[in-house]
Amino acid sequence: SITGACRAIQKLTRVRVVDNSALGNTPYHRPPKCIHVYNKTGVGKVGDRILLAIKGEKKKALIVGHKMPGPTMTPRFDSNNVVLIEDNGNPIGTRIKTPIPYILRQKGEFSKVLAIARNFV
Amino acid sequence: MWRAVLVGCRLLRPVSAAAAGPLRPQRLPPVAGAPRRGCAAARGAGGGGAGALGAVAERRQAADTVLPKFNIDFVVALLRQENAKDICVIQLPPEIKYCDYFIIVSGSSTRHLHAMAHYMLKMYKHHKEESDPHTQIEGKETDDWLCIDFGSIVIHFMLLETREAYELEKLWTLGSYDDQLAQMTPQSLPEDFIFGLTPNSSDHLETRTECNC
Repeated sequence: SITGACRAIQKLTRVRVVDNSALGNTPYHRPPKCIHVYNKTGVGKVGDRILLAIKGEKKKALIVGHKMPGPTMTPRFDSNNVVLIEDNGNPIGTRIKTPIPYILRQKGEFSKVLAIARNFV
Repeated sequence: MWRAVLVGCRLLRPVSAAAAGPLRPQRLPPVAGAPRRGCAAARGAGGGGAGALGAVAERRQAADTVLPKFNIDFVVALLRQENAKDICVIQLPPEIKYCDYFIIVSGSSTRHLHAMAHYMLKMYKHHKEESDPHTQIEGKETDDWLCIDFGSIVIHFMLLETREAYELEKLWTLGSYDDQLAQMTPQSLPEDFIFGLTPNSSDHLETRTECNC
């Protein structure tokens, strides 16, 4: 059962991997789920790092969009989008098709993710 | 829409350090008339050895980037001074509101990349005034990809293998016609997806996640 989007991304949320990494795109019988949010509060917004459980492995990821409405004049997405990342911050995939918000530029060190993105919002 | 990108986007041919002459003057004399456009040569795999260029593309009078002094010419001159390999400068059209210039640089080793990045940061700090935002080096923990974002210029320092893997030049010059993008399997909406449906019905979300898996 599914509730509406009340908190953006927290533990056990199902997320959608939007880059073209092999790990994110190969089908598996369970959707990738967040198991930890690297944040003081357990809620992840755009630009936060989380730990995902994908295909039985743990991988870090970066949140690039969530269903919950954020601050005004920021985009709201229809799915909780996430980009897989290594521990050192390098993105695992090489291209991102979905739009990426511009806020990521001011948020932190995410220029690499922006560099492989295709369109911005 | 993206045709305009192709037309407006100027790719300056990758310049190898060997072909670097003396440091260019900081300010090019203003050119009357339209500047010559550099031919778009998308960098093929391993084709970094562009070698000596015959006709060097004359860039537009370096517009105000971050600072009056710290502009693109200065940056490229510094990179050449640092023996950076395969400097690739891409001028992005203003529709992409990301930055004006996108620079990709290769280095010979991790230490070289770190040295270049720190040197660029040092020169930026030296030239900037108080009101300009601070910049940080991203990717200090990595050993193959560093990045500096100066507002209107973004510089990526990568090793050669990383560069080949990501092919950022192709992405930013070809736009939608990039081959890696085309190879990504397009995700289609499930048959029963209804726009605007509140996620209270379990069928809707379950089928969506199944489709994305």
